[in-house]
Amino acid sequence: MKRMQDYEISDRIPEKEWVPTHAQVRQYAEASGDFNPIHLDETYARQVGLGGVIVHGMLTMAQMAATLTNWIGEEGRVSKLEVRFEHMVRPGDAIKFSGFIRERSGNTLKCDIEAVNDKAKRVLSGVAHIDVLE
Amino acid sequence: MIGKESIGRESEPLLIRIKPEEVRRFTDATGNLFNDRVPPTFVVTLKQSGIPGVELPIPGMIHGEQKFTYHRQLYVGDALVCKKCIKDVYERVGKLGKMTFVVLETTGCDLAGELVFSSCSTLIAPSKGENE
Repeated sequence: MKRMQDYEISDRIPEKEWVPTHAQVRQYAEASGDFNPIHLDETYARQVGLGGVIVHGMLTMAQMAATLTNWIGEEGRVSKLEVRFEHMVRPGDAIKFSGFIRERSGNTLKCDIEAVNDKAKRVLSGVAHIDVLE
Repeated sequence: MIGKESIGRESEPLLIRIKPEEVRRFTDATGNLFNDRVPPTFVVTLKQSGIPGVELPIPGMIHGEQKFTYHRQLYVGDALVCKKCIKDVYERVGKLGKMTFVVLETTGCDLAGELVFSSCSTLIAPSKGENE
């Protein structure tokens, strides 16, 4: 397996697919303490104009972060993670996480990251900096 | 309702220890592996003191942006002094009408006073009275 030290500019980070379920959203609400009804109550989510429940942005971001930390293992750490939530994610959407190394400065890999749904809409985009251990 | 007058308001600093069972529940819910390393986004779930005079979330509030900076790896069992602060509040008109943007910063320092992480959330809510 390729070591983190050996990654170079334009190398892609391992991709992951994820289909959030209502049960996962409930599980994240319990783990995070974020019981905002826009994630859990269909009627409420419609009343506030969201057209139905949406997945916590922070759950999608946590899944994105997991693709990074599972890839890095103990060969480095995430020093920066910044995303913009561009489109709402709903239970049942098929989300694909991907990214590539845009720049390497010293032992820091600067990656562009994104998540796209099955309608080819980008739901999340941003940057991650990974400090690779020497 | 939150407005410009809320900018600069802070929560009381709170000493928090990162508990293994809480990290375990988080990793189980998010596809992260459970080990001694705290997943980068876990810190948003830390229970903190509220900011006096500020009610969050506002009904219908959604998350626009989220940023984390880590100055070192955070480990299960670490103790942090955490504090929240309203960095900015502004309004912008978008396709859903007039919206209020709230920028909330959270910082965590270790017991030696060294900054371990900072987190910045941009939260978006319909401005009151505009969209009814």
